[in-house]
Amino acid sequence: MRIVIIGAGEVGYHIASRLALEKKDVLVVDKDPEAIRRVAESIDVQTIVGTGSSPEILLEAGIREAEIVLAVTDSDEANLVACLVVDILSPSTKKLARIRSADFDAYYSSFRENSPHIETVINPEIEVVKTIERLMRVPGAVDMGEFADGRIKFVGVYLTEKDRLAGARLSDLPGMLEDKRLLIAAVVRDEEVIIPKGNDQLLAGDLVYFISEEEQLLATLSLFDKHAQPIKRVLIVGGGRIGYRLATKLESQSIYCKVIEKDARRCTFLADKLNKAVVLHGDGSDQGLLSEENVADIDVVVTLTNDEETNILASLLATRLGAGKAITKISKFSYFPLVTAIGIEQVVSTRLSAINTILQHIRRGKVLSAISLKGEQAEALEVVALESSRIVSKPLAQVAFPKGAMVAGIIREEKIIIPTGESVIEPGDRVIIFAKRAAIDGIEKLLAVKLEYF
Amino acid sequence: MHWRYMLYVVGILVLSFGMTMLVPLPACLAYQDGGTQALLLSLGITIVAGTCLLLAFRKARAATITQREGMAIVAVGWTAVGIFGALPFYLSGDSWTIVDAVFESVSGFTTTGASVLADIEALPKGLLLWRSFIQWLGGMGIIVLSIAILPFLGVGGMQLYKAEVPSPVPDKLKPRIRDTAVILWKVYALFTVAEVILLMIGQMSFFDALCHAMTTMPTGGFSTQNASVAQFDSLYFEIVIMLFMVLAGINFSLHYQLMRGKPLAFWKDPECRFYLAAIAIFTALVSWDCFGAVYATAGQALRYASFQVISIITTTGYATYDYEQWPAFSQMILLACMIIGGSAGSTGGGMKCLRIMLCFKFCYQELFAMVHPHAVTTIKLGGKTVPDDVMRSILGFLALYMGLFGISAVLLAATGVDILTAIGAVAATIGNIGPGFGMVGPVENFAAIPAMGKWLLIWCMLLGRLEIYTLIILLVPAFYRR
Repeated sequence: MRIVIIGAGEVGYHIASRLALEKKDVLVVDKDPEAIRRVAESIDVQTIVGTGSSPEILLEAGIREAEIVLAVTDSDEANLVACLVVDILSPSTKKLARIRSADFDAYYSSFRENSPHIETVINPEIEVVKTIERLMRVPGAVDMGEFADGRIKFVGVYLTEKDRLAGARLSDLPGMLEDKRLLIAAVVRDEEVIIPKGNDQLLAGDLVYFISEEEQLLATLSLFDKHAQPIKRVLIVGGGRIGYRLATKLESQSIYCKVIEKDARRCTFLADKLNKAVVLHGDGSDQGLLSEENVADIDVVVTLTNDEETNILASLLATRLGAGKAITKISKFSYFPLVTAIGIEQVVSTRLSAINTILQHIRRGKVLSAISLKGEQAEALEVVALESSRIVSKPLAQVAFPKGAMVAGIIREEKIIIPTGESVIEPGDRVIIFAKRAAIDGIEKLLAVKLEYF
Repeated sequence: MHWRYMLYVVGILVLSFGMTMLVPLPACLAYQDGGTQALLLSLGITIVAGTCLLLAFRKARAATITQREGMAIVAVGWTAVGIFGALPFYLSGDSWTIVDAVFESVSGFTTTGASVLADIEALPKGLLLWRSFIQWLGGMGIIVLSIAILPFLGVGGMQLYKAEVPSPVPDKLKPRIRDTAVILWKVYALFTVAEVILLMIGQMSFFDALCHAMTTMPTGGFSTQNASVAQFDSLYFEIVIMLFMVLAGINFSLHYQLMRGKPLAFWKDPECRFYLAAIAIFTALVSWDCFGAVYATAGQALRYASFQVISIITTTGYATYDYEQWPAFSQMILLACMIIGGSAGSTGGGMKCLRIMLCFKFCYQELFAMVHPHAVTTIKLGGKTVPDDVMRSILGFLALYMGLFGISAVLLAATGVDILTAIGAVAATIGNIGPGFGMVGPVENFAAIPAMGKWLLIWCMLLGRLEIYTLIILLVPAFYRR
């Protein structure tokens, strides 16, 4: 499968490295020789220096043989033009473009139906706002995804020493929980993803991922001693595009909301556009301002400025001053392991959101959705089991799964089944598979080759 | 720097290389003329050594291979393979000294083709095949072969590939490095098979055809005959071998393009045009110079001149005539050919046409800037601007190449050989050609060089094959600092 990536920024770079590890043929185009060199030196992909919207460069990149093209440069316009040129050169290539400006929000379907026929517009800002909303509502969750159109949630929570599950073995769980069900899919310990088996222990400090039906979610979370508290007050630090989007959303849900923004002109704009929200002019990491605005009474602080250091500091400061919890936007992937260490648990990233959305579309066909786990070492996939597949009609214990992959759940009609070695997947079931990065290639083969007779 | 991981990879290389010692065994068994025991013993020693390294460092892991480690793996890997490849020679008889065996082996791997043997035909057939086979392995590169075959090298493969492939800017033909390596080896193997068939059509024995094809394509130059290709005295063989020498000296990515249906690939590439033009012009000059003085007819002059010019400029080193009998002008042209060499990305040695072309362009640009002090100029090749850092690395290469050439020639003279031999032997080894001038001319061999001199020339051959940087970097103190 040949994939052309236009733009070797942070998103392009990470998508390329993910796909290269999965043994796909990847070509990266960027006009900056420095960015291209960074890619060429560390990732096993082909690189071309040039403008991604130039027909000559695209032909050189073999666009006609490419299945998918991803336009992820920093400029919306450049991405649109690149897709337009691809549409002329090679109409059958699937086009994905990142478009961030809110001006285009209403035109996504037009882009799909008319030229340039962009299959999916990726707006990471919309995705991030969705993630923030989800994280706000689910107490204690640090990572969250959805399957089966949102009916099934997939949630990561940290286990603390006080929790009753700390120290429990997986095989003991049914006894401890009486009639409640808990489906633990993966555990992240010391930055390693573990797919736990019956004998494995849960330890304090683990990031535990479980799967739950939507209605059961709060009950399941109470097993981890995380209890839902209604959210009434939200403080947003940084009134940029994401902050503005979030504030509008919260306003429509009648949640009291304050926005702190450093730039006076932007404040005027926000005050003009927002009706109920309080717009404050100042610095989010200013302790005086935070106490003045009574941050101790705030349920959730969301830090969304473009400067990650400010976000980290403002979040730390706010929780120290007594805020309920803080959600921090961070873009640099290298910061992720660091921020957990200093006590920032709930992190969102536009880039990670963009990558998740893109992966979902690359895996599409057999795969309904794909979600990367924190630190992107593993993925959760939701797939439909077709009749001809090797995974159906026999006990799971007999299916040759690649190492580092497991079936975490089977969705049959409206039910979720927690699989055992004897469970049998029936054709038409939706299956949730957890797989470490190294196993994804194998999983795709297991599903793809047999499923659709390529 | 992950030393342990580096040694682990080298262990795997040595182990896999040990397996290839099975290749000449059929010839040993078929001809029953000795060498079987030496080969089997070497195979055992190499496999045991490789396994020991592998087991000793099996726990070493590195997330990726950096450029520094890539160079170290290639440099140490080549040295190790050169030494283990010498075992079959050393163990085959008492007449072999250690330095001779290592010289013969490294001369094979680096595709130099310089020999210490006076009587090649006396060697058992199995060892003759081994000599040709190691040239074949070294031509496209043992590391490139390993990348193609061993899947675990894929991740850091680009760093290894860059350190081994003889080109200032290696081409990546396919998005994945492993696919690129597979394609290069396929093209290489295809040409080799084609040459075997063409030689056999001309009634050459299968054994000789195989050995010559395996030393033509890597531009190596080991022959199974004492008098090299001259022994056959056949115009047909000479034409076939010339054709494949010329092909081997062309960038292999052009062959790939040609096979993918781009018939003008050779013509569109400026380096290839330069290379073909150089062959044509030098052949014409040498024929003109030798016609009358050495050869009675123009046809004869053209036949010997073209073979020798091609053989030297592609750095193969086969001989059909003792060119030391030629006039001085023709000999100087051959010396120039030795320094120029083949194309970048080919199996040829020397400095490579691409670097020579770019140096000319650079000099012209400097002169132009003196006439127009305010002019903004860039160096272009085939319509594309050459980045400054590439240009800088080429100029650095030129300086290092010439500097090392000079120092090595002085050191070789210190071992007691004459001036012509010192210059000729260093030119022939650092350019991976084979025959030089003086005591090491096309009808002599390297046996008479003193032992110290041979070690020096072994070093020169490795320098030439790994294009200086990869090997010389091991001598830079900063390389070892944490």
